[in-house]
Amino acid sequence: MTTDTHVLAGTHAGTTRRPTPFQRLGRFGGYAAMLLAALVFLYPLLWMVGSSFKPGASILNDPLGFNPFHATLRNWTGMFDNIPVLRALANTAIVVVFKGGLLLVLSPLAGYGFAKFDFPFKEALFGLVLLTLMLPTLVLIIPLLLEMSQLNWVNSYQALILPGAVDAFSVFWMRQTISQIPDELLDAARIDGCGPLRAFRSVIVPVLRPSLAALAVLSLFNIYNDLVWPIVAINDQSHETLAVLLAGLTSDVSGGQSGVSSADLWGQLMAACTFATVPTVLLFVFLQRHFIRGLLAGSSR
Amino acid sequence: MANLTWKAAAAKPAAAPAPAPAPNSDSGPVKRNRRRLPREWWVGYLLVAPFFLLFVAFTAYPMIYALELSFSNWHGAGALRWVGWSNYTYLLTNHDFWSSLGNSGVMWLLIVPAQTLGAIAAASVLTRSRLKFKKTLRTVVILPYVTPLAAMAQAFILIFDTDFGAVNAVLKFLGGPQVGWLTTTTWSKPSIALFIMWKTSGFALIIMLAAVQGIPPEVYEASALDGAGPIRTFFSVTVPLMRRSIGFFVVVSTLGISQMFLEPFMITKGGPYNSSTTSGEYLYGHIASSDLGTGAANSFLLVLLVFLLSLGAVRVLRSKED
Repeated sequence: MTTDTHVLAGTHAGTTRRPTPFQRLGRFGGYAAMLLAALVFLYPLLWMVGSSFKPGASILNDPLGFNPFHATLRNWTGMFDNIPVLRALANTAIVVVFKGGLLLVLSPLAGYGFAKFDFPFKEALFGLVLLTLMLPTLVLIIPLLLEMSQLNWVNSYQALILPGAVDAFSVFWMRQTISQIPDELLDAARIDGCGPLRAFRSVIVPVLRPSLAALAVLSLFNIYNDLVWPIVAINDQSHETLAVLLAGLTSDVSGGQSGVSSADLWGQLMAACTFATVPTVLLFVFLQRHFIRGLLAGSSR
Repeated sequence: MANLTWKAAAAKPAAAPAPAPAPNSDSGPVKRNRRRLPREWWVGYLLVAPFFLLFVAFTAYPMIYALELSFSNWHGAGALRWVGWSNYTYLLTNHDFWSSLGNSGVMWLLIVPAQTLGAIAAASVLTRSRLKFKKTLRTVVILPYVTPLAAMAQAFILIFDTDFGAVNAVLKFLGGPQVGWLTTTTWSKPSIALFIMWKTSGFALIIMLAAVQGIPPEVYEASALDGAGPIRTFFSVTVPLMRRSIGFFVVVSTLGISQMFLEPFMITKGGPYNSSTTSGEYLYGHIASSDLGTGAANSFLLVLLVFLLSLGAVRVLRSKED
């Protein structure tokens, strides 16, 4: 045992070489608590996925049980027949690609401008951006809605993509990161004959790559899950994103669609929710490193 | 000057007039670095312009419009009618407005203290224990944070259903009462608070884990030498050293709760009897009934509140840092 770990072991009544029965009990309790926490956080997800494969009647009669021998795909086939999830997914994909693309190109460029160039009223403009960092999104909803109707953009992709595409926080974050890049690197690029955009591509972007990855992953989830603005701006099915579609589905048994029993309604609803949720879970498992870095970038401001 | 130009800039004849002197060229030590950089002010403008165009069109302009709207009576058609402060006085004398703020306050009390302390405790236990699967647990706890709110709210409604829900099924099995989680005024707020805590605790945990890991282990040695027990250590070493992160988390969640709208909108529609109508949900009610002038006034009252709350939080944090 190195001195280092020895010191650490001394600071808390944790494990030494041979755990005493008391420590074993503590460790057992620790694992039990972790298991309980994991169950609490996973249960709603598991219940949702499980219910999507259960026969409708047993979702209602036996909410806790899951019999794999009675698992069925009926909810899923019914869901694909009744709920336009595929079109909604396509709409979501369009918004993610364009809105995310705008963000990933424009916010580093603006951050570069703010960090490495001087221009009149720069501080004033940047101050204006900072001011909106604190602005609740809700304030903008009413006037934006009116602006959309003046532009005839209600129920359009533009309405989903353009407002809020480049947010103040991303510009702020990119500016912070870029201003840490030494000017000498840019000077060297200039001596080699690079223009400002070329220097951006060959000097800034490589250094910025981890932050860009974090920004991309963070905004991927944000845009995919976004609901506050879309639910106000979109009220026809042809432009509905997945989140808007799900929010509009009813689980109210009394108000169910004709021809679908309430039990089937629940099953199909859970199938649709599972359809929307599984991609986020899978993506998160692979991208969590970047996601967490993005979250922490927010906390260090 | 010519030596300092970018090649691309020099090639363009458009760079006609001498750059206007920057008003803030006296910004201390940064100045020396900047002088070695190109002074083409318009390059900076070009880089910032696309962002600013969107910013003006979809943030600044709507803000000013909203301000005008908040002094008008308007229901979505016809001309704006100037009504002075009457939208504001209407709200400030309206029982529903104050009760929506009260509901948000109760939500804050139900969520923020428990979530903050819980996350700090979990983070310090996870960091200092030698249990396996710590990373797995962290992933599991953050998972709800990235799932679509619309989907999870739908699942939550079914799980907490009075007649067919899983929660009441467990209670029945244990011989407990059948509770109207989402249909009684007593339980609507705690149920929504539970959903929010389930969904956002991962975020709290990430922030607190990073903060705990930033505390040097020597501090704990010293505390152990002084004979402090684990609880004493937690409150007089761990918590004070994480002040900045705790402050950040509390401010962010307070801002979030002050404009909370989706959760009550999805789960209870603000009911029953407005018991879960938070300030955000109340504001949305104005939009839904096309009472846009009142809605705009309501949103500015919320901005004011958020501003005061953040100011207060910054004050508290500053005073403790001394």
